[in-house]
Amino acid sequence: MRALVLALRDLRLEWRGRAGLLSAFSFIAVVLFIMGIAFGPDEANLRRAGPGVLWVALAFAGSMLASRAWALEVENETLDDLLLTPGSREWIYVGKLLFLWLLMIVMGAFLLVLVAAWFYLPLSAWPQLFVTLVLGGTGYTVIAAFYAGLTVRLRARDVLLYLLVFPMILPVVLAAVKATLGIAFGAEFSEILSWWKLLGVFDVVYLTLCVLLFPGVIEG
Amino acid sequence: MEEPTVEVQGVWKRFGRQWVLRDLSLTVEPGEVVALLGPNGVGKTTLLRVIATLIRPQRGTVRLFGKPARALEAERGWIGLVANPPAFYRHLSGEENLEQSLALAGRPISRERALEAMERVGLPPGRAVAAYSSGMKKRLALARTLLGGPRLLLLDEPETALDSGGREELARVIAEVAREGAVVLATHDRGFAAEVATRSFAMEAGT
Repeated sequence: MRALVLALRDLRLEWRGRAGLLSAFSFIAVVLFIMGIAFGPDEANLRRAGPGVLWVALAFAGSMLASRAWALEVENETLDDLLLTPGSREWIYVGKLLFLWLLMIVMGAFLLVLVAAWFYLPLSAWPQLFVTLVLGGTGYTVIAAFYAGLTVRLRARDVLLYLLVFPMILPVVLAAVKATLGIAFGAEFSEILSWWKLLGVFDVVYLTLCVLLFPGVIEG
Repeated sequence: MEEPTVEVQGVWKRFGRQWVLRDLSLTVEPGEVVALLGPNGVGKTTLLRVIATLIRPQRGTVRLFGKPARALEAERGWIGLVANPPAFYRHLSGEENLEQSLALAGRPISRERALEAMERVGLPPGRAVAAYSSGMKKRLALARTLLGGPRLLLLDEPETALDSGGREELARVIAEVAREGAVVLATHDRGFAAEVATRSFAMEAGT
C-alpha cells in the first residue's frame, strides 16, 4: 500500500515538474527523427530497423526516467525521510519501480504509435506488441530502478547508471527486439511465445533478486 | 528500569580520510533534552545522522530504545529528524507534504488534521513549499513533528531562521516530545540550549 502511495506521489510530483517526462519524450522524438532519416526512405529497411529503434529509444529514455525517479528525492533532499519510515525498506524500491513502470508503459505505447507510423510496424498486431512492451518494459524497469537507487547518492550517478544498467538489460532488450521483429514480420506464434517466456523468466528472477537485495544496498 | 532512549558507545566515523567522530559516547535517557554544542565541523550533524541510523559508523555501537540501531524496523517510525534545512517536496503544498510524509510512515492523516497542525504553527494553507521562506520550512517541520509524535526527536540547528514566535513554538514542541520521549538537538546557540535543554554535551573535533 505504501509503495502505491509513493508511486502516486512521484507521479504527481513528475506531473507538476514535468522535467523528466519532457526530456524523455523530446529524446524519443529526436532519436526517431534521426533514425528515420538514417534508415529511410526504403520501406523494407525501415521495417527491419523499427523494432531495434523502438527498444533502443525506450531503453535510453527509460534510463533518463529511472534516474529521474530517484533524483526527485535528491533534489528535495527527502531520501532520509524515506529511509526513516518504519519497517523493511523493500517497499521504497517497489514504489519507485511502480512509478517508473507506469511511465515506461505510457511512453512505450506512445513510442509504438510513432514507430508504427514511421517504421511500418503493423499496429494491427497491437495486442502482441503490447504484451511484448509490458514484458520487456518490466524487465527493463526492474533493473533500472534498482541501479538508479544504488547510485542515487553518488555524484557520477548518471554516467554510472548507464554503465551498470546496459550490460544487465542486454538479454531483455535482445529478447524484446526478437519478439517485436517476429511480430513485425508475421512469424509463427510459437516463436514469439518462446521470446515472451524468456522475458517472463528474466522479469521474475530480476524482480526477486532486486527486492531481496535493495534494503541492503540503500543503507548509507 | 527503563532502557536509555539513545546509547552511543565508542563511535568512530570517517568520510574519506577525515575522521569526523572519534571514540564518541553519549547516553540519552527518556525525558531528557540533550543539546550538542560546538563549532562548525565538529561532527554534530554526523552524530545526529548516526543516531538516526542513516549512516553507519566504522566502529562502535548505537542502541536505540534498548535495541541495536541496525536491527530497528518498526521502531524507526518513532524517530523524528528535522534536518537543516528541513526537507520537503518543493512542488507540493505544505499540507500535501504533511499528508504524504505521514502516509508513507504508515500513519495516514486527514487533510483537516494537516491544516490544523499548520494553523498551530502559523502557516497559511495552499502554498507550494517552493514559495516558503527558510523560517516557514522550519515551522512546517514542527507541524510534521507534532503530527508524527516521535519518541526520539533529532533536531539540527532548529532555531535558525525562526522568529521569536517560531522559537517559542519550537520550545513548546521540544517540551511536548520530551514528556513522552527524548530530544537531541545540535545548535550553536548556547542561549537557546540553556532555555530548552536539560543537559548539554560539548563537542570538540569529533569527541
